[in-house]
Amino acid sequence: MKFYYFHLMPYPMEHDERSSWVTLSNRFYDPKQGQTLYNQYLDQLEYAESLGWDGLCVNEHHQNCYGTMPSPNVMAAMLVRRTSRAKIAILGNGLPLRENPLRIAEEIAMLDVASGGRVISGFVRGISAEYFSTAINPTHSRERFYEAAELILRAWTEPGPFAFDGKYYRYHYVNPWPRPLQQPHPPVWCPSQGSSETVEWASKRRFPYLMVFTPIKRIAQIYAEYREACERHGYTASRYQLTVNVPIVVAENDTKAEALARKNTMWVFNTGLRMHPPFWRPPGYMTEASLRRILQNPPPLPSDLTFEQADREGYIVYGSPATVRDKLRVFSDQLQAGIVCSGLNGGSHEGTLEMMQMFAEEVMPSFREDAEVDETVGVGR
Amino acid sequence: MAPPLAELSVRGTPVHMLRDGAGTPLLFLHGAGGAGRWLEFQERLAKAHTVLMPSHPGHGGSPAAEWIDHISDLAFHYLDLLDAERVERVHLVGASFGGWIAAEIATMASHRLVSLTLIDPVGIKVDGWIYPFLFGMDIPEVVQTVFHNPMAALALAPPDQSPETLALQYRQGTALARVAWNPYLYDPLMRRRLARVSAPTLLCWGAHDRLAPLHPCADTWGAAIPGARLRLFEQSGHVPHLEEPAAVAEAVLDFCRSAEGAR
Repeated sequence: MKFYYFHLMPYPMEHDERSSWVTLSNRFYDPKQGQTLYNQYLDQLEYAESLGWDGLCVNEHHQNCYGTMPSPNVMAAMLVRRTSRAKIAILGNGLPLRENPLRIAEEIAMLDVASGGRVISGFVRGISAEYFSTAINPTHSRERFYEAAELILRAWTEPGPFAFDGKYYRYHYVNPWPRPLQQPHPPVWCPSQGSSETVEWASKRRFPYLMVFTPIKRIAQIYAEYREACERHGYTASRYQLTVNVPIVVAENDTKAEALARKNTMWVFNTGLRMHPPFWRPPGYMTEASLRRILQNPPPLPSDLTFEQADREGYIVYGSPATVRDKLRVFSDQLQAGIVCSGLNGGSHEGTLEMMQMFAEEVMPSFREDAEVDETVGVGR
Repeated sequence: MAPPLAELSVRGTPVHMLRDGAGTPLLFLHGAGGAGRWLEFQERLAKAHTVLMPSHPGHGGSPAAEWIDHISDLAFHYLDLLDAERVERVHLVGASFGGWIAAEIATMASHRLVSLTLIDPVGIKVDGWIYPFLFGMDIPEVVQTVFHNPMAALALAPPDQSPETLALQYRQGTALARVAWNPYLYDPLMRRRLARVSAPTLLCWGAHDRLAPLHPCADTWGAAIPGARLRLFEQSGHVPHLEEPAAVAEAVLDFCRSAEGAR
């Protein structure tokens, strides 16, 4: 199994506001504190490479304390020059949120060229709240996503210049310089929450599917749907097309790990993802079919998720190295996931670095049967 | 009592429509959340007119129509509906979002209108005012913004919280957002075009409207439509036809009568 270090770059604060997204006033953001945090977070990502992580992940979110990376490409650019081996996975750029998505084709190509072909390009729609922050019409989200993805893929693979005449995006001259180094283009990943439309779209194109912060039972169900869809499209899914994103806490013993998980990991759900209810469900962001699927079996709001439920349903992985190894066996052996994307949180910068070292030394080596395999060969394009 | 339901096809777009009463035809265009709600206001209008109350595509029983991308699509849709119903000229009454559609129709085809009544319409950019963003509000905040008398909101309350009801509300919100998310609740081109409205026009306004307040919104509409008259409803917020149905209906009936007399 491959290990990718996933960073949200949160602004870890406690507050009594009803929403950590969209309306949480930026007067709470202290730029001096932000400077310290950004540099610690980048240090952690760089350290992850030196400890043996296979990839480093950044991502895009707007106007919140959950993740302070409105432009993931900026963070990826910093990592490109400070690392030399690890893949740099941008999970991802919110395609529909851009008025000029050709800019994404350009920025990813820049990163790919400068990094010597280490970039993985996630395509996302952005989560629901993003449509409040950017004022993009959520009823256009899906169409804009497909159209922007087509534009970017063509911009990477077809010799320019050519004209593109879409419903939302129109160009007379598509001809970005530079072109990406990886051929035919950097691997594309689809981080998602499991809509059947995205499963279909990604599986058809061999784009890896990444489940973010999802209970294990649901991951198993969506993986099965994805594998089935791949068969329908005439091929068998590689295990590196199935990626899981789960927060991990490892410590000397289970008791200590549990205490850390209760305090730090649950912050992500209970505070980081606290949201004014209308921001979860902007009109038209999902299809009516997806809505009905959710209404049949409504998941708990992250802000209502208890530690016990998160533990029971596998939203998080915590424990001693031996316990964490056992829990990760479920992902590697039962779910047959090829890649685990995880952030570790030790409660402080130093605590996190120690935890990373422990994970790298005592957990990772047990999953290294595929150390020589390049997980990006034949997938994502 | 709700009148019989008619199921029409307007250029291939299916429409649910309530129709009742006798007299010269009156087309009522409902606001967001008002689809299929035949209440005291409609009852009173139907005493003097044949009232046509279609549900906008994606609202109430009318299925969503993928081709509708812009407010003018809805305006053309209702001109098509009048053609399909063989109604040459009509009294046009629109409330809130329905007022926006009605005003758009009036800029295109005033010659089809005997009279135009706009009840707290949205649809134009008003200098000095930004419409509060209902899509970002929960139900109590919406009620607080839209109603002066919150008891009147009960008339629009959903019957239950079943998946069916929630899916309908989501479909209605989606249909509204398709044409109204950004720019929010207005068409930047419309204000200037209101000068083309030649039908006699009545503006009905709730004195306590917090979504589109009398000042500056009604002032701007009044200045933009030649000869428009303004009637104020002192006990109402954004939806006077729900908050003071008898008084608003009387004002509309009076205005329609005088418009017919003036022909």
